[in-house]
Amino acid sequence: MSKAVKALIIIVLAVAVAGGAAVYFSRQPDQPTSTSATPSPTLKSTGGGHFRGPEKAKVTLVEFGDYQCPSCKAYHPLVLEALSRYPQDVRLEFHHYPLVSIHANSMAASLAVEAAGEQGKYWEMHDLIFEHQDEWSKSPNPEPDFIALAQRLGLNQNAFMQAMRSPQLQDRVLQDVVRAQQANVEAVPTFFIDGQKQNLPPSITAFVDTIESHLHDKASVNTNK
Amino acid sequence: MSKRAVAIAVLSFIGMFDALYLSLKRNAGPIPCHVTRGCTDVLTSRYSELMGIPLSVFGLIFYVAVFSLAVFEISGAGKTLNWVFWPATAGAAISAVLVGIQAFALKAYCEYCLLSAILVLSIFLLSPHPWVHKHPQ
Repeated sequence: MSKAVKALIIIVLAVAVAGGAAVYFSRQPDQPTSTSATPSPTLKSTGGGHFRGPEKAKVTLVEFGDYQCPSCKAYHPLVLEALSRYPQDVRLEFHHYPLVSIHANSMAASLAVEAAGEQGKYWEMHDLIFEHQDEWSKSPNPEPDFIALAQRLGLNQNAFMQAMRSPQLQDRVLQDVVRAQQANVEAVPTFFIDGQKQNLPPSITAFVDTIESHLHDKASVNTNK
Repeated sequence: MSKRAVAIAVLSFIGMFDALYLSLKRNAGPIPCHVTRGCTDVLTSRYSELMGIPLSVFGLIFYVAVFSLAVFEISGAGKTLNWVFWPATAGAAISAVLVGIQAFALKAYCEYCLLSAILVLSIFLLSPHPWVHKHPQ
């Protein structure tokens, strides 16, 4: 066998091994990023925020998010999945944290969602804005995109545009930013479950496991009472 | 057997795994970071692809090519390691730009991309320079 043929066989085998390992590891359920013994930072009730889910839910998932952040978009389906799995036990409390220094359209997106909220469609716009992030996030002026989304939701266009420019809504978003800073939120998305800051769950399995453990803790406490 | 060729083969093998892993993970939801924070931000940003092709695919092609050249050298089929220098130079320059984008434009870091940058830089430093006539062993 010539040296070149041997080399080719080694190359093919090595590519196959690297490929097999990459496929194997990419399909593994990811573990939480840290299991350090130091306690997680805690969040006291911040006030404000928008709620999704039953008021008397056992677990409250607090999210500080930025509508233009790709990670927030990636985590959005996980949050929805967690809410749909525990419709009676889990509720979401969402706070705006637009990182305007790197996401030029994030403040306008928060205002668009708040403006839709004025017409009772906060969560519908929240979902749509994430779903269409790729379209409006690159636009130098995203307002027409937001207006198109508002029309899809059947909102009154004039009232929506007026609300987007309302100082009260801007103030509401900025109050959320202050809350994020008070809670030492360093990046988006940041999740708190029952006041405890979470490492970013890498998969829906990890997300659900964390929620399960909080529900289990609550059940144990209630049983012991 | 050149120790330099073996080192380049090992580094490019790790790079192949890194690039393949990223290519597979890219469109499969959040990409977990273990050391840095912001893998998903970096890997789904507008800088993460060229003409619709993820940069990790270009990285994979680079690593397979460098690995092949190193293996041909090790097996004695030819002095192919001399061909690594210029692709490695281009790779190191592109990696420097991509690290700069992470630091200044995205303000987020992806550990897999940083690992790749270290691998490319190491391959560049190890590759025999064309103006060195005698191939050091």
